[in-house]
Amino acid sequence: MPATDNQGSFLNRISIRRNQVVSMDVNHEQELEDLELFQKHVVDRFSDLVTTQPPPPTAADSSPDSALMPADTLLSIAWFRKLLDAFLCCEAEFKAVLIMGRDPTQFAKPPLDRLIPELLDRTVKALDVCNAITHGVELVCHWQKLAQIGVTALEQRPIGEGHVRRAKKSLNTLLTSMTFDDKENNSHGGKSTERSWSFGRRGGGASVNKDRTAGTFRSLSWTVAKSWSASKQIQAMSSNLVAPRGGEPTGLALPVYIMSTVLVFVMWALVAAIPCQERTGLATHFPVPRQLVWAQAMIGLQEKIGEEWKKKEKKGTCGLLEEIQRMEKVSQSLVDFADNFQFPAEAEKVEEVAAQVTELAEICQKMDELVPLQQQVREVFHRIVRSRAEVLDVLDQVGKMSTPVLY
Amino acid sequence: MEPPENTAGAIESAEKIILRWDSTASEEARERMIFDSDRQEIDRYLQAVDEIQRSMESVTVTDDQNKVNGAIQIAMARLEDEFRNILISHTGPVEAESLVESVRSTPRADSTGVDFPEEDYSFEDSVVSKEVEVEFHVGESSSRSSSSSKYQSTTSIREIDLIPSEAIYDLRSIAERMISAGYFRECVQVYGSVRKSAMDASFRQLGIEKLSIGDIQRLEWEVLETKIKKWIRAAKVCIRILFASEKKLCEQIFEGLGTASDDSCFIETVKGPAIQLFNFAEAISISRRSPEKLFKILDLHDALSDLLPDVDVVFESKSAESIRVQAAEIQSRLAEAARGILSEFENAILREPSRIPVPGGTIHPLTRYVMNYISLISDYKQTLIELIVSKPPTGSRYSGDPTTPDMEFAELEGRTPLALHLIWIIVILQFNLDGKSKLYKDASLAHLFMMNNVHYIVQKIKGSPELREMIGDDYLKKLTGKFRQAATSYQRATWVRVLYCLRDEGLHVSGSFSSGVSKSALRERFKTFNAMFEEVHRTQATWLIPDNQLREELRISISEKLIPAYRSFLGRFRSHIESGKHPETYIKYSVEDLETAVLDFFEGYPVSQHLRRRSQ
Repeated sequence: MPATDNQGSFLNRISIRRNQVVSMDVNHEQELEDLELFQKHVVDRFSDLVTTQPPPPTAADSSPDSALMPADTLLSIAWFRKLLDAFLCCEAEFKAVLIMGRDPTQFAKPPLDRLIPELLDRTVKALDVCNAITHGVELVCHWQKLAQIGVTALEQRPIGEGHVRRAKKSLNTLLTSMTFDDKENNSHGGKSTERSWSFGRRGGGASVNKDRTAGTFRSLSWTVAKSWSASKQIQAMSSNLVAPRGGEPTGLALPVYIMSTVLVFVMWALVAAIPCQERTGLATHFPVPRQLVWAQAMIGLQEKIGEEWKKKEKKGTCGLLEEIQRMEKVSQSLVDFADNFQFPAEAEKVEEVAAQVTELAEICQKMDELVPLQQQVREVFHRIVRSRAEVLDVLDQVGKMSTPVLY
Repeated sequence: MEPPENTAGAIESAEKIILRWDSTASEEARERMIFDSDRQEIDRYLQAVDEIQRSMESVTVTDDQNKVNGAIQIAMARLEDEFRNILISHTGPVEAESLVESVRSTPRADSTGVDFPEEDYSFEDSVVSKEVEVEFHVGESSSRSSSSSKYQSTTSIREIDLIPSEAIYDLRSIAERMISAGYFRECVQVYGSVRKSAMDASFRQLGIEKLSIGDIQRLEWEVLETKIKKWIRAAKVCIRILFASEKKLCEQIFEGLGTASDDSCFIETVKGPAIQLFNFAEAISISRRSPEKLFKILDLHDALSDLLPDVDVVFESKSAESIRVQAAEIQSRLAEAARGILSEFENAILREPSRIPVPGGTIHPLTRYVMNYISLISDYKQTLIELIVSKPPTGSRYSGDPTTPDMEFAELEGRTPLALHLIWIIVILQFNLDGKSKLYKDASLAHLFMMNNVHYIVQKIKGSPELREMIGDDYLKKLTGKFRQAATSYQRATWVRVLYCLRDEGLHVSGSFSSGVSKSALRERFKTFNAMFEEVHRTQATWLIPDNQLREELRISISEKLIPAYRSFLGRFRSHIESGKHPETYIKYSVEDLETAVLDFFEGYPVSQHLRRRSQ
């Protein structure tokens, strides 16, 4: 990006300020139009994200009629990619509405003088959430690799004891990791440790005192301080979200509110779906007033996701990501199969298993999309950083930010 | 071609061996590790594994196939555990054997010219001072030599042997077999998990913290400065030694075993830690900008620039692209931050709002701060010259904007943008000071103030060769002229009226009786002169010119005008006064008195009101 960017925009804004007085009325019209467009686009994009289909049944719990899953199943990787895209678009428009052509002195007056610092604070938290998600995705990739071992093993024909044991070992590790990691910071830590071992000791575990695999899964994922909590971050981000009452002077309070809500929603959905540190107590609803027309789609999504979360929270969930959920289900089923396996296997059993293995293989393939997803998260990160810097620039101009005490 | 029975026999005995070591089956198998036993035992087992794997081809009957597969799985599970065990037992915190930090004797001037509190963190129980070098000892011959010998610093990639070669051999034999049996993924998993926790431990040793961006925004900058220093040292060790050595280790174990395994193993191990490492630098690069942050940000930028080539080497594979990209992004953000801070700094000078006039007209703290700051900037000239590419946003001389000075670029052709910025900074500093000078009610003081400050600016420029070179002698001349001009203005403002008292005109009257001098007028003159001088003396003694030479020069300049004038006035007219009543009321001071009094000027102290009367 051009090195002159900073200097250039500084000058531009100064000259804009000088011109402001002259073309006030024309600008005002334009501003209103922009605001409306922004709102409309938010509505459109979120409507797009709503699906009315329930997550389709997996091959594990019904007849093996696994048609291809539609790409926009709620909380699937593909859905998230769409969500992040939508976020980036909203964000770009929001920035245009907020900054370009605006009289910067508005930022120094109510209500923006309070709203903007709050927004900035939210963005910092969002950045941390992005980082946590990036690491969480790494963990999911790790799970993908474990699942792939299971798939490889169970694809062998004829299915032998060796293959089954191998699959069982790997899938047990997978399942342990899925529950263990999430519960690790939980207050019911003791219980979960019990439960995790009830999956059965992984076959061929090395001598106990040298077995540190459980612990090593932990270090695989968390790279933040123990005290950092995803749910607390989301909580803090949403705590001061208050819908503006109509009729305030700048007309900016509403788009700020809308964008903040969008931001919080996206972060919240990511945290719910992807394993990251300390998600207990994740809020399941947000104080978005129902009567806000533009928010209908989002509220709908919130409710669905919130419901899912509540359902799963009791048992402990490794993440609502659709692929993770399915992976957990299928893996558990395959482990059950493995537990009851006797060589040689009966034909129907083999067929049943084959279907599930195919499904698991397909899930693994879907998870290849995690890499571009990670890139998108990174893109979101960059964008938030950029916008934050620009807002800070404007604030500096106004001199509202404490003029640095030089000496 | 072996007869079937022999093959079967060989397979059978191989199976036996493998089953014997099935840890799910026997306590004994769980308690001992194969690779802790003697070579024979190890070789026997490995041969058994090879045998079983070979037999996969020859076995046809499904039942037998099942048995063989079963045996392979058991063997692989066992090998996995052995692999893990070997890795773990040779993975203490890396530092224990290989890294020793020692104290280097020659201190280097701190970049900010300010003494940072010595950091006292125990690494291997040694006290670490500002300049830390890392020394490497391969293997166990860790001779902890004294600090007087020369140390190799982390200036380039240095791989160390993380694991002794015997263990590597064993690991490799296991990996070979696991990979050819199709158990590559399991192998990588184990490898990754053990090495990752080793890396974790190393990170802790190096003091790499797990701070969130939110945490970093909240910390005081001084605290962050220390952390940045620490990070720079740690990052060098991480990239050039730790990561490089991990890469080497992967190659040692996995190279040539048929898959792109050495690459993926390595990436698997270091990706997370690398991201964690860079997160800190990233958080710094996006923190709020303010002038005091410039130099540490530049330090960080320079350190990163220095490390980037090595990052590119260590993380050259495609799957590690995101790390390279991130590192480059952070570097460019830091550059942007530096530019932004400079801009911010310039704004701050322009807008600096203090309206309390500095007592005594001395050097304003703003002047000191700014000049110290740009002296430091000139120390960082090398980096900044590359980073600063655009000209300063000066006002145009036609804008008529009273809040911004303008600067002509024509005469500054050929200067680097950085130099232009420095000159611009001095321009806006003066502009601001000019505004401040108007706060003084006394015009003389205003001039003195400007003289002091511009002179200080000139001295600082002269004191730094880099700064002087960038500012250029032309502009320096201008500045010099400016403070001389201020001195002259001061003199006019104060002394013209004082010396006016000592003029000849108006004292002579034509008349027949008198000697041609109006005594009353003369007495008036003396009175006025005395009063004025006393006033000026009393007031301006409290004014301050901090620079000794300048103070002297100005006093001499005053004396050169005042003393001869007074002497000649006295010489011509004293007799007229002395012939009248109470001469001492009018001729209060001798020439010597005045000379002495001038010495009180600009000392910054009030003086007693009693001047020495003339002692005649």
